[in-house]
Amino acid sequence: MQYAAAEQAWYMPAAVAATTMAESAVASVERLASESAVVVFSVSSCCMCHAVKRLFCGMGVHPTVHELDLDPRGRELERALARLLGYGPAGSPVVPVVFIGGKLVGAMDRVMAAHINGSLVPLLKEAGALWL
Amino acid sequence: MGETSSSSHSRQDPCVLGYGFHGAIANSTPANFFSDQEGAVYFGELEETFMHQVASLTRTQQAATTSIAHHGDIKPFPTAATVTAATATARPPPTLDIFPACPMRSLHTPKEGSNVTADSTDDSESSSKNNSNHSSVQHGAAADMQNQFDQVSQQQQLQHKNMATSSTPRTGKTPDRKTIRRLAQNREAARKSRLRKKAYIQQLESSKLKLAQIEQDMQRARSQGIFLGGAPGANTTSTGAAMFDVEYARWLDDHGRRMAELHGALHAHLPDGDLRAIVDDTLTHHDELFQLKASAAKSDVFHLITGVWTTPAERCFLWMGGFRPSDLVKTLLPQLDPLTEQQLVGICNLQQSSQQAEEALSQGLDQLHQSLADTMAGGSLIDDTNMSFMGQMALALGKLSNLEGFVIQADNLRQQTLHQMHRILTVRQAARCFLAIGEYHNRLRALSSLWISRPREILGADEGNCGEISIAAQASQSQFSSF
Repeated sequence: MQYAAAEQAWYMPAAVAATTMAESAVASVERLASESAVVVFSVSSCCMCHAVKRLFCGMGVHPTVHELDLDPRGRELERALARLLGYGPAGSPVVPVVFIGGKLVGAMDRVMAAHINGSLVPLLKEAGALWL
Repeated sequence: MGETSSSSHSRQDPCVLGYGFHGAIANSTPANFFSDQEGAVYFGELEETFMHQVASLTRTQQAATTSIAHHGDIKPFPTAATVTAATATARPPPTLDIFPACPMRSLHTPKEGSNVTADSTDDSESSSKNNSNHSSVQHGAAADMQNQFDQVSQQQQLQHKNMATSSTPRTGKTPDRKTIRRLAQNREAARKSRLRKKAYIQQLESSKLKLAQIEQDMQRARSQGIFLGGAPGANTTSTGAAMFDVEYARWLDDHGRRMAELHGALHAHLPDGDLRAIVDDTLTHHDELFQLKASAAKSDVFHLITGVWTTPAERCFLWMGGFRPSDLVKTLLPQLDPLTEQQLVGICNLQQSSQQAEEALSQGLDQLHQSLADTMAGGSLIDDTNMSFMGQMALALGKLSNLEGFVIQADNLRQQTLHQMHRILTVRQAARCFLAIGEYHNRLRALSSLWISRPREILGADEGNCGEISIAAQASQSQFSSF
């Protein structure tokens, strides 16, 4: 239902402002996440985000990166991400958050754990981000 | 583990013995040198005295009690010398065993004959104080002072023995020239040693005062340092760091016990079920360390990242506050043979993925460094036209707080690597794997303690070397005692 609203927003530019306001932050996150095989929500000045980007580049993957500090809706998206991750403490940074094939993988620790236990590469291949 | 520890311990023993012997030989030379100086006279007197020993025994005993009372300053020397004989077994001046009670009455009766009974108790008290002084002198660094005292006391013993031998026939005659000369020499020597002792005591007192002052300064600086948030004091450890050090030490002890248990279980060929329980416990124990490190990172990340909590050799290989996972896997691979094809592939993949993750984290940390440097160098470093010092600092503080995240991610990587190893390997292989990891780090720690206590100067300070080597033996013993 919400996707339909978003699609309408595409084809009806006049109503764009109204519908993007209506689309919840979580929905935006999910929409953005499903647009590419590998999506990384990041902050341009965050060094851990830089680390996760280098990890993917090192594996030959080219993720789509959304810099939340450069997005007008950045703060809302960050809050939505925090909720998705189930974060409690407000102080700790939420980013980087990684989605592969539209599905949430998690923050840096989950990404690294997935890589070490060998589940990251099959996931990437499945999403079409990696070829043999 | 037992075999390796005992063999390496025995490897060190020859070193300890060697230095011990060398030290003993070196220590005995002064006495020999001294006896050579007065050699002929000494041995001649010795024979005479043996003959007179029994006859004068009762007399010397009486004399000893009174002479001990009399000779406040000088008396300590013979008793100190006996104390020396008792405690410093490496350096036994031969005279002392033969003349335990020195008959000094003949020497000092003219000077202090008046002080017979009145000062007896006082002098014995002061003499006991001087005794303790001398025993503390021995344990201090004043080996040469003690030597001098010994030499003087030996001289005096010699003179007094002369007195003893010549006193019995002397009772009726006037003293001859030789005796007078010896008396004068003795007085001179005694005076010199009194002066030396006074100077030394003054030195001790002044350094005691200096020490008290330094301690006071340190207390003040420490309290100020804590107020400023751990400013450049070299020895200021935050409470978080101190707590971690204590817990880490406890973890190490525990680890040693578990390794011994694992080793025993492996070689007792326990059924796989029992062994699995022990291996799982070991893995959990490692997880506990990562928990400790995570909480330490939150309170004092620099303590972890600079490796102050580890030993020097471990610090050599430090990467982001701990061991490098890919290096560990590379080290373990040859120790785990035989492996199935599938296991080999799994471990190679593990090595590769941990290497990639390490690379990513390192690059992230590099960017943090660069960003921090840019912030610190923001504006002009030379002119005073700085827009906002506090603003800059606030920005830098924020960036610095990211360091904690990197250490935590690095530890996470280490933990995941260990868990993956555990998953790939069979129970027995995993047991050997954990034993190998434990032994590898143990060897690094042993290397560190040997390095710290290695002999630095072969020439001179033999006692110092003995001390250092014995410390090395002790330190490595404690390393291996955990097994």
